[in-house]
Amino acid sequence: MWQLAVGVAALGAWEGGVRAGLLDQFFFSRPSDIGARLGEWLRSGSIWAHLGTTLAEAALAFLIGVALGVAMGFALARMPRLAAVLDPYIRIANALPRVVLAPIFLLWFGLGIWSKVALGVTVVFFIVFFNTWQGVREVDPVLVNNARMLGASERQLTRHVLLPSALSWIFSSLHISIGFAMIAVVVGEYLGASRGVGYLIAQAEGVFDTTGVFAGMAVLAAVVLAVGAGVNRLELWLLRWKPRVPDSTYQ
Amino acid sequence: MASPSQPAIELRGITHTFGGSFTALKEAGLEATAGSFVSVVGPSGCGKSTLLNIAAGLLSPSQGEVRVFGQRLEGINRRAAYMFQQDALLPWKTVRENVALGLVFRGKEMPVALREADGWLTRVGLDGFGNSFPYQLSGGMRKRAAMAQCWITAPDIVLMDEPFAALDVHTRMRMQQEVLELWGNAGQTVLFITHELEEAIALADVVAVLSAGPESRIIAEHRVDLERPRNLVDIRLDPRYQELYRKIWGDLREEVLKSFAGR
Repeated sequence: MWQLAVGVAALGAWEGGVRAGLLDQFFFSRPSDIGARLGEWLRSGSIWAHLGTTLAEAALAFLIGVALGVAMGFALARMPRLAAVLDPYIRIANALPRVVLAPIFLLWFGLGIWSKVALGVTVVFFIVFFNTWQGVREVDPVLVNNARMLGASERQLTRHVLLPSALSWIFSSLHISIGFAMIAVVVGEYLGASRGVGYLIAQAEGVFDTTGVFAGMAVLAAVVLAVGAGVNRLELWLLRWKPRVPDSTYQ
Repeated sequence: MASPSQPAIELRGITHTFGGSFTALKEAGLEATAGSFVSVVGPSGCGKSTLLNIAAGLLSPSQGEVRVFGQRLEGINRRAAYMFQQDALLPWKTVRENVALGLVFRGKEMPVALREADGWLTRVGLDGFGNSFPYQLSGGMRKRAAMAQCWITAPDIVLMDEPFAALDVHTRMRMQQEVLELWGNAGQTVLFITHELEEAIALADVVAVLSAGPESRIIAEHRVDLERPRNLVDIRLDPRYQELYRKIWGDLREEVLKSFAGR
């Protein structure tokens, strides 16, 4: 109830502020206008092509990033010597602000979806990679020893012990990386594209259409929340072996 | 199966040093004849678990060798099962999947392995808990599942590292009785590590005493000639048991006092 009240109050204050002339409609638009624009986009169906492009890019970036991150995380956790050699380079690569790569990727991969996917991958990869690495290294040695005594081969050990054990770490990173994949992809579109929600926002901004900018933001927020909820359900199912701890932060 | 006279497991002159400086075991030697139940007692921190890990092949000794049915052990001891002090069931698998694990690792089809696991769950009194996850079971039930997990692989040797230390006294006694029954039926060689002399004598054919660490070694071996099958509830009242207890405690006492002084 209170959550709803806060939202209504904030939107009401915004709307009222603009109507009373306290906020400039040119710079701040109005919730009612934004709502109307969203309705228009949905009715005409023009939003779907853009949203579809953005989602496809984000999904590809996410999947490739997760696959590479999990694979590399495993490899380095199982091969400490290789990890020691590569460690400084990984740090350097991770220290790089990813946004500056966007123009380079545009040059390399062109204006199509792959430059955005590449940018998204660089973001998702590191988050998943570090969590997987940590997760595999923190596996309870008793579980590993028990599996080895029961006759597990290296592959069986990975599949039955290491991967499930790292899963809760990997999952905690998925929540963050989904949001980041979206951000990266939208930034990529923003800098140069012919389709996508980021392109839509950039176009609106180009003609000082604040209503369009806010409407684009609303679409992105809704999509990220929806995907996050999906991940939550998947997590609940995959981690069903964990005793439920009452979650006091978000419910 | 080997002939009864051949040792199932021999530890010869085992010395183990951790990190190049701490010598946990020095020239420790022990052998267990096939089919016998051998307990190793010693004060806390005397390298009991190290000795067992070496017998399991999880650790390779700095010096000395392990022989399993006459063959030098390299890598993991494939003829042994290991029951750990801590919970070692995989928390993300159900109880029956956990029990079936050893068979799955050996290449059995999942449905076959699960069917066999169900049989073992019945044997250890966990009927109806197969689809529970380990966190939903009590400590004693988890230990039963761990026993089934070990015995399902039909090992020739069972290594046990204070498996019941975390349980309350009465649950522990029930578990000990069940171990004796499983052992009596299948006739494996058991190497049982504990710091409790009561438990060691009540279960074993031979009680070996490990000296206080560092540089622990086996200082005495006592034959326990109590008749089998044993009734653990009343065994402590048996005069022969008490006599053995006094005798072995004479050896162990010194070592326990030394381990106090070492702190």
